[in-house]
Amino acid sequence: MATKPTQDLDQKTLVIEDTESALNAPVRVKEAHPIIYPLSLPETEERKATPAVGQSASRPDARLHGLGQTKYIDDIKFPNMIYAKVLRSAKAHAKIISIDTSEAEAMPGVYATLTGKEIPTNTFGPTFQDQPVLSDTVVRHRGDGVAAVAAVSEQVAQEALKKIKVVYEDLPVILDPEEALKDEVLIHPPKSNIYTSKVIKKGDVEKGLAESDHIFTNRYKTQFQEHVPIEPHASIALWDGNGRVTLWSSLGRITLGREDMSRTLNLPQSKIRMIGTIVGGNFGGKNEITNEPILALLSKKTGRPVKCTYTREDEFVSSTIRHPFIMDFTTGVNKEGKILARKIKMILDGGAYCSWTGTTIGKGSILAAGPYNIDNLHVESYAVYTNKTTTGAMRGFGAPQVCFAYESQMDEIAKTLGIDPLEIRLRNAFREGSLSPTSQTLHSVVVEESLLQAAEAFGWNRS
Amino acid sequence: MLVELKVNGEKRSADVPPETTLLKFLREYLDLTGAKLGCDVGDCGTCTVIVDGISVNSCIMLAAKANGSEVTTIEGLATTSELHPLQKSFEELGALQCGFCGTGMLMSAKQLLDENPDPTDFEIRDALAGNLCRCTGYTKIIEAIKDAAKNMRAA
Amino acid sequence: MKKTGKGIACMWYPIGFTVMANPSAATVKVNTDGTATLLTGTVETGQGALTVLGQIAAETLGIATDDVHVVSGDTDTTPMDTGAIASRTTYVTGNAIVRAAEAARQILFEAAAPLLNVKPDQLEARDKKIQVLGFPSRFLPISKVAQHAETNVGKPAIGSSSYNPPTVEMDPETGQGKPFNTYVYATQIAEVEVDDETGEVVVKRIVAVHDCGQPINPMLVEGQIQGGISMGVGYALQEEILFDSQGKQINPNLTNYIMPTSLDMPELDVQLVDNYDPTGPHGAKGVGEPTAVPTAAAIMNAIYDAVGVRITTLPATAEKVMTAILEKNAQEA
Repeated sequence: MATKPTQDLDQKTLVIEDTESALNAPVRVKEAHPIIYPLSLPETEERKATPAVGQSASRPDARLHGLGQTKYIDDIKFPNMIYAKVLRSAKAHAKIISIDTSEAEAMPGVYATLTGKEIPTNTFGPTFQDQPVLSDTVVRHRGDGVAAVAAVSEQVAQEALKKIKVVYEDLPVILDPEEALKDEVLIHPPKSNIYTSKVIKKGDVEKGLAESDHIFTNRYKTQFQEHVPIEPHASIALWDGNGRVTLWSSLGRITLGREDMSRTLNLPQSKIRMIGTIVGGNFGGKNEITNEPILALLSKKTGRPVKCTYTREDEFVSSTIRHPFIMDFTTGVNKEGKILARKIKMILDGGAYCSWTGTTIGKGSILAAGPYNIDNLHVESYAVYTNKTTTGAMRGFGAPQVCFAYESQMDEIAKTLGIDPLEIRLRNAFREGSLSPTSQTLHSVVVEESLLQAAEAFGWNRS
Repeated sequence: MLVELKVNGEKRSADVPPETTLLKFLREYLDLTGAKLGCDVGDCGTCTVIVDGISVNSCIMLAAKANGSEVTTIEGLATTSELHPLQKSFEELGALQCGFCGTGMLMSAKQLLDENPDPTDFEIRDALAGNLCRCTGYTKIIEAIKDAAKNMRAA
Repeated sequence: MKKTGKGIACMWYPIGFTVMANPSAATVKVNTDGTATLLTGTVETGQGALTVLGQIAAETLGIATDDVHVVSGDTDTTPMDTGAIASRTTYVTGNAIVRAAEAARQILFEAAAPLLNVKPDQLEARDKKIQVLGFPSRFLPISKVAQHAETNVGKPAIGSSSYNPPTVEMDPETGQGKPFNTYVYATQIAEVEVDDETGEVVVKRIVAVHDCGQPINPMLVEGQIQGGISMGVGYALQEEILFDSQGKQINPNLTNYIMPTSLDMPELDVQLVDNYDPTGPHGAKGVGEPTAVPTAAAIMNAIYDAVGVRITTLPATAEKVMTAILEKNAQEA
């Protein structure tokens, strides 16, 4: 154990002239002395100006970031705090036959372990609750948590994980979404692997295609992307003598987080406090509880505050990632490049659990046709389970995927018909009052304006 | 083992297990939490501090290796009366969003300007190449460094 | 040989949750010196939400950004908020704040009206004053009114409210409905340089023109767009999580998961479209996610313009581009 750090007192200069002035004068520290901060600085014009809207005001939290004073969760310490780590599954798809934590518990420095059986309601999920907090019967991807350990240091906790013995019985591993569609191996039996779908229909797409001068059929595919927030997920749990638990968490939505905690722990919401501090980047990946219930229970067992931070590997393997899309676009246009009909079929790789797939498939489907006036439209999308990392919310919820598809195809159409790419978009773009794919009247529309402004700034010469 | 070094001009020491990294030494034994843990393997740069004039990833440097050295961390940049010009420019030009990469960026930037008071655009980008940022796209960070360099040259 | 190309992509993106209620609540308290405190249940994830929300409250009360202290992220002390997701904070939480600030402001108007000899609906809050509409020389400093309201009238100026965007559910068979209350639009144009001997793509320049309604804080909007573009560049050219045949990730670390560094970012020209959304707080919409949407498409279109190959699966790594170039050359031969 380390001894308390020492400081060389000669470095600090206390200037006290005599007893009387000592009572009146403040203690002065040499101006150049570091590890201090300026308390009064001139505020910028923008922060003092009215009206406030439109001011490029600097951020008070940015001042603290620059000073290194911002306390992120990992910077927070409580007396008697211990550290937790979670054991991740060694298999992508398997039954759990047994979990033996006894050897880990016996290790010096280990305070407690936790498995899924000890969690009052062991399911969660923002859309539907198909994900276990800690897997206790089946693992469906390698990021599934199987057991947790709380120990005197992160190092000891990490070592203790290696002593946990899990016996698995292999199940077939399904990685290809098109394979998963066949439902030959079910990942969440008895449910089909196709766990959510969306249809958007407007006008008569077959008639529109029949009337087109040209039909374009293209397939586009996108990859898994990870948020890489520079701050890994982190949480701290602690209880008070009144049976109230407080969670400090990097979660982006604490109101719903508290509801999730109430549900998983079978505790009334009034007994739960959730505090969201400054987060070091979210981008969609910190929008559901991860190990908060685990920490609350470990803290209850040990009577100590418990902290857990994700390793960078945990961030990739266990936190959510972006859905890959397989998109088939069939578009019919007339000679002038005006889109008459569009048929779209999309398959989303839905990972091992639902997470935010409902929102992704919904937004992706609504946006898939692009910001264009299309009278005849048919969009059909499916999300399937696979034994890969849970796909969830990530900046754009399907929009970057579909934009890649509809804008790539737009250029294909432009090239074949010999029309300038800017021109063809202007011919099809939404205007104020246009109807969306769901027949909503759009207001405050500026597609054309943004196209023309960008073209001018770029120096785009129409060919 | 006892590790003794100077941090921000002050002599500090602590008795630590030999495998302790400089990052852990600063954060847990000296309570200087400005340097952050982002990956623990030297990939992201959030742990950047300056050791004997060179910017290093403190997560892959043993505290023992820094014995007797002069270390500068983010906590050593400001004084009671003013921010360091880099801190001022970063704040005013919006170069800090979530701030997690910020302290590492500022230390890399300080080391660059200490050596090269008038860097080119490429030299700035090159100096920051080991500091990952996900929020800002680096654009305002580079502008802020140029702004601070200009102010520092004028002073 | 290095070939240059340009590509354009435009997009649209909604604000808020799809059909589902996603309310935000807020409380605004005016102090007896005319400064204020804002309580919001949202969490600052780095985008500057707290500063922007403070500006929205300040605008409604007619005071400065610096006069508002923002308290956030504690279920014990701040009101509910659906969270920092779906680019909804400025719009939904912002609208809740406008309503809460208006409620607090109404108490100030009612306290000031008899002192100024007018009716409450003849007053406005501007430049730290409560003044008469159309006759601004008759006014009281907001600090005096706030003090008077609390200590003389006995009604502290505090207001709470909530907001949820009005939607219409989507028909389960046709999807027809009104899933969102507002959308934003944008165009990005990319200029790339492709080395036709290695397939390497360098993005030289991107012009990004985005709509966010009335920008509450232009510097922070710009920062979001620049950050989103860096994610888009990574999505287009570098980032990919790879799995082996046993479902294990091959590159779960930052050495092998390639993402943009300071050396990968192109020259950026970021502009906003002049716009105002009457359904938003002081005309604002949102900007968080739209920024990352059209970048990859613009870059792919630019690659096609440069070397005539269409990349249909992301990311467009050098190997992929080179393979496509060789296939094209073989076909043409």
